Amino acid sequence: MKHAILGAALLAAYVGVPLLFGGTPYVMGLIVAALTIAGVALAWALLGNLGGMVSFGHAAFFGVGSYTSAVLSMKLGVPVFAALLLGGLGAAVASVAMLPALRLRGPYFALAILAYAHIFQILATEMTPITGGAGGLLSIPRFPTLFGLEFGGKTGGYVIILTIILLSAFVYDAVRRSAWGLALKAMHDTEIATRVIGVPSTHLKAAMLALSAFITGVVGAFNAHFISFLEPDYAFSSTWTVLPIAAAIFGGYRTVWGPVVGALAIYLLDQLVFKPILPHGHQMVLGVLLCAMILLSPGGLLPVLLRRRRSEGGRHAHA
Amino acid sequence: MLTLEGVHVNFGGVQALKSASFAVAEGESIGLVGPNGAGKTTLFNVISGVVRPSGGRLDFRGQSLLKLPEWKRARLGIGRSFQIPRPLGHCTVRENLIVAQRFGARTNDPQRIDEILDILNLRDKADSDAATELALTEHKALEVGKALATNPSLLLLDEVLAGLETTSKRAFMERLGAVRDRYKLAMVIIEHDIPTIAALCPRVLVLNFGQIIADGAPDAVFRDPEVIRSYTGETTL
Repeated sequence: MKHAILGAALLAAYVGVPLLFGGTPYVMGLIVAALTIAGVALAWALLGNLGGMVSFGHAAFFGVGSYTSAVLSMKLGVPVFAALLLGGLGAAVASVAMLPALRLRGPYFALAILAYAHIFQILATEMTPITGGAGGLLSIPRFPTLFGLEFGGKTGGYVIILTIILLSAFVYDAVRRSAWGLALKAMHDTEIATRVIGVPSTHLKAAMLALSAFITGVVGAFNAHFISFLEPDYAFSSTWTVLPIAAAIFGGYRTVWGPVVGALAIYLLDQLVFKPILPHGHQMVLGVLLCAMILLSPGGLLPVLLRRRRSEGGRHAHA
Repeated sequence: MLTLEGVHVNFGGVQALKSASFAVAEGESIGLVGPNGAGKTTLFNVISGVVRPSGGRLDFRGQSLLKLPEWKRARLGIGRSFQIPRPLGHCTVRENLIVAQRFGARTNDPQRIDEILDILNLRDKADSDAATELALTEHKALEVGKALATNPSLLLLDEVLAGLETTSKRAFMERLGAVRDRYKLAMVIIEHDIPTIAALCPRVLVLNFGQIIADGAPDAVFRDPEVIRSYTGETTL
């Protein structure tokens, strides 16, 4: 039953959505943007859930990933799909610079990461020969056509970002279910109790930071090749931190799929419903929705939906 | 197996341990006693790596422990429990042991986990939430279980019998004896109950104001006037 649902969901995602919206590039573009936010939201939630760290600096990983991939493909001729992975690797390497912040806890860690994010933005602005400086990079290579499939368009981009998210969620879930996941969850409450039974807690947290940075970097790299343009103010914009956090909290950051559901819900609702009604200030409605969600269901949207499904299942079973 | 020489610990102006020196042999059981604030838990913290000593030598099987973090000491074979139980949150009893085994012993041996659950009488609670669904005795047993799952050769038990009523205490003591015999462990046990210590340990160390004031067989140690004075302020009991 579970496999059938999974198969149907994958079929709907890979075939149904392109068939339904492939002819309307505007909607497909919005879905791709929502999934881009979803990718960062998932990586942010992974760091919070497993690493116990609240980050206000994921824009740094997004920006580093996008610039690394763009520069490698433009200046060194690295194939775009390889550059995508190297973008993630670049972001993971950038996370090494943040390791000293792992000694910090709670808001102090969050603020330190925020400061690090600004350092990378300044570097991107100042390293003009490589990054193009404040003017940015134009004509970043788009995704190629492979096996007759055109990945450079909106539908092709959708397939790529969907695959990135599915693979990221798979890795996240695998880590969460492993002994690493158990140790990481346990560390939040009592780190010293885990260390005395052999858990190298700092190494594990660093690994989660690197994994989260890698996923965010790959998503950033995807975005760079999808829109084919980059500038520091855009690539390192706080939007890449704030929107994913809002999405993760709205959807349910404690679950693997909550951040994805949250990103799709808030971005598509905002762009397709609130924006046409309130062209100026539509984000306010989003803010109210987020507040309502936090007050009424702090666990987020996905746990509510799952509870409802279970209770309906229970009613059908009794009937 | 474990040697301490001139170990001292300062917390600001307070000397929590003053030149502590003793050795633990393979398979030996030692009782560590002393009044509250004597430095017993600090000594465990130093051996397990939770506290860095201000000076002295600390070797385990010929290797200096001084620069090793807690998790590396656990992997060398030093297991410990905490006085106030610290179950791993969001985990079942079995998962607590799995984490300890995978990281501390770096093995995956479900049979040994079951064996530990049985020996500590935790089998019925294996799938219970460790943080919220255990009674005090079970919490204490889980503390011992986590340490055991790391496959230690030296077990440091910090007041695992404290707070238990007489029947539970007796049963727990029997379990500790079984653990020691089954796994051929060296043990250092902090405990205030003198008959318990005398029954479990052929050797007793007494700490007072951070200093080891007696080291020997329980009968001799508990008749030592300095030991009596440290507990009662008098020279006779």
